[in-house]
Amino acid sequence: MFVVVCIKQVPDTTQVQIDPVTNTLVREGIPFIVNPYDTHALEEALRLKDRFGFRVAAISMGPPNAEATLRKALALGVDEAILLSDRAFGGADTLATSNVLAEAIRKLHHQEGVGLVLCGKQTIDGDTAQVGPGIATRLGYTQLTLVDRIDAIDHLRCRIRVRRKLEGRHEVVEAPLPAMLTVVRELNRLRYPAVPMRLASQEAEVKVWNNEVLRLDVNTTGLKGSPTWVSRIFSPEREKGEIIGDGVHDPAGTAKLLIDKLVSKDLLPC
Amino acid sequence: MKALLICEYREGKLLDSSYELVAFADRLGADRAMVLIGSEAEAPRVNGTVYLADAAKYGEYNPDLHKRIVLAAVERENPDYVVFVHSSYGWDLAPRVAARLRAGQVSEVVGVVDGKLEVGLCNAKLRRTVTPKSAKTVVTIQAGAFSPAASPQGSPRIERIDLADTASALEFVGYEPAEQKEVDLSRAEVIVSAGRGVGKKENVAVIAALAKAMGGELGASRPVVDAGWVEHSHQVGTTGQSVSPKLYVACGISGAIQHLAGMKKSDFVVAINKDRDAPIGEVADVLVVADVMQFVPALTAKLQK
Ligand SMILES: Cc1cc2nc3c(=O)[nH]c(=O)nc-3n(C[C@H](O)[C@H](O)[C@H](O)COP(=O)(O)OP(=O)(O)OC[C@H]3O[C@@H](n4cnc5c(N)ncnc54)[C@H](O)[C@@H]3O)c2cc1C
Ligand SMILES: Cc1cc2nc3c(=O)[nH]c(=O)nc-3n(C[C@H](O)[C@H](O)[C@H](O)COP(=O)(O)OP(=O)(O)OC[C@H]3O[C@@H](n4cnc5c(N)ncnc54)[C@H](O)[C@@H]3O)c2cc1C
Repeated sequence: MFVVVCIKQVPDTTQVQIDPVTNTLVREGIPFIVNPYDTHALEEALRLKDRFGFRVAAISMGPPNAEATLRKALALGVDEAILLSDRAFGGADTLATSNVLAEAIRKLHHQEGVGLVLCGKQTIDGDTAQVGPGIATRLGYTQLTLVDRIDAIDHLRCRIRVRRKLEGRHEVVEAPLPAMLTVVRELNRLRYPAVPMRLASQEAEVKVWNNEVLRLDVNTTGLKGSPTWVSRIFSPEREKGEIIGDGVHDPAGTAKLLIDKLVSKDLLPC
Repeated sequence: MKALLICEYREGKLLDSSYELVAFADRLGADRAMVLIGSEAEAPRVNGTVYLADAAKYGEYNPDLHKRIVLAAVERENPDYVVFVHSSYGWDLAPRVAARLRAGQVSEVVGVVDGKLEVGLCNAKLRRTVTPKSAKTVVTIQAGAFSPAASPQGSPRIERIDLADTASALEFVGYEPAEQKEVDLSRAEVIVSAGRGVGKKENVAVIAALAKAMGGELGASRPVVDAGWVEHSHQVGTTGQSVSPKLYVACGISGAIQHLAGMKKSDFVVAINKDRDAPIGEVADVLVVADVMQFVPALTAKLQK
């Protein structure tokens, strides 16, 4: 059985800068990382491999340089890494993205049967949280979002039991396989790639599937297959906060000023 | 233009966030109808149609059944927008409904500009407006982004929805409470957070003392948690908790986007930082330029008087 992990390459948002003139994202020179939630999905897949002997495939849709992301997955121990890359996939919104990912999963399923798809809870750049559910719907898989624990997988009965993280409580549910899970960070702690593995990953092959392989209708992929588009990106307006007192030379006096301010705003009892 | 608003019901109560949906529809200038899977006693106090299905029968959440109930209401109302709150409930249900309707979805909307939906991007560092091209659009709104009018008034016209078939592939096993030692910062009114600027583990106690004097909870930035100075459930930010207290005090926190993403909904932000140009100053309402280890004890002492 295959466990498929969907990983996205995202710009490191700590380092994202905004062009003060055009008010748009400066993309040049920003390092890319694996979407942090996806690293937890990857870790969980590898744990399932250790526990049950499943095979793990990592897939990513993106430009050719997203190969680096998949190489990291190989270094951690995935069995297959596939880059879904084609000009016709570019500019996709979440619907078009899940179309391509779903088609790749379908193809893997024909190879050797997919039981589980793991996605991150959301990405840190687009952060729509829709791609996983989109895949599940398209493939008719059970959708289980916000999973923070996998309790049991029963191959014979084709069932999975997981815990979902909700507000102030958790929910335990059982559902049929195949299933698509989106995972939260609490699910596990990450491993680090062992050095021999890391070296081996330099040799291992990242497969590339373009649309000649997937054969999707180009009206369902990329910009053409996208019902939403981003009209404008801008930075929210913010004013700098007021500096009060002289905290360095007069901590006590400044403390009093601050308390008065908070009391006047009804933020502290008098 | 019409919006179908999906209320949220938890542990036998209508959640107040349901009225934020109303505020959103008003901002959009849309007519509205609502859906509640709950009980009649808890129906939202609004004028207009409320489609009611009984939570005793369909569960507080069963994705298969709730999806079908929402779709039944969509069929009767034929709305342009189907709107959820971006909570675990909307998170799970909205994309299912969108996929079935073949509708575009816009997640975690924070504003409406000229009828266009405004969303955060890159952990709220940027904003974008999104234009849906599909006939129907599914929307989730950020909790707290649309404030409802003072006190809701009105009397709904109840229309019942019943499903003939209540079969579901999902089997609900039960709820588990959140771990005991976890703090639920999402409900705290005052949060005082420690950042790397506090210097060392022993100093966290000084920040905790301020939190206590203010009647609040202790929060932390990620490096403080990673260093093991504070337990993870206190972490605020993208990989920690999202909080929306009335008062947030950031002590020795630089204001990285991942941290801001978790606390940007706070009503009033005080930053204590030795660097007057620290980015936290851009979200802070008040900045105190000082050494935390000198200023915080002075503040706590004054408060305790
Ligand atoms: C600036 C900007 C704004 C955007 N705004 C919108 C918008 O408003 N509406 C819209 O529909 N699209 C939007 N998009 C497009 C959207 O980001 C892409 O479609 C993206 O490929 C998937 O969406 P996401 O990043 O929100 O993923 P999410 O749905 O948040 O991702 C959840 C999980 O799905 C998996 N996943 C997502 N993308 C990939 C991938 N390419 N390869 C492998 N696995 C993946 C990962 O496991 C990930 O953790 C925007 C993109 C950018 C860069
Ligand atoms: C994928 C990802 C997810 C992340 N998730 C989170 C998250 O959930 N939450 C989070 O917080 N971070 C998160 N981070 C980390 C984030 O990018 C920042 O590194 C982090 O928030 C910085 O913490 P800090 O402000 O405490 O430390 P620093 O950035 O080191 O800032 C310390 C501040 O203290 C001030 N200072 C120093 N000494 C003193 C003194 N004596 N008195 C007063 N001020 C002083 C300094 O001027 C500085 O502004 C994440 C990062 C990544 C890549």
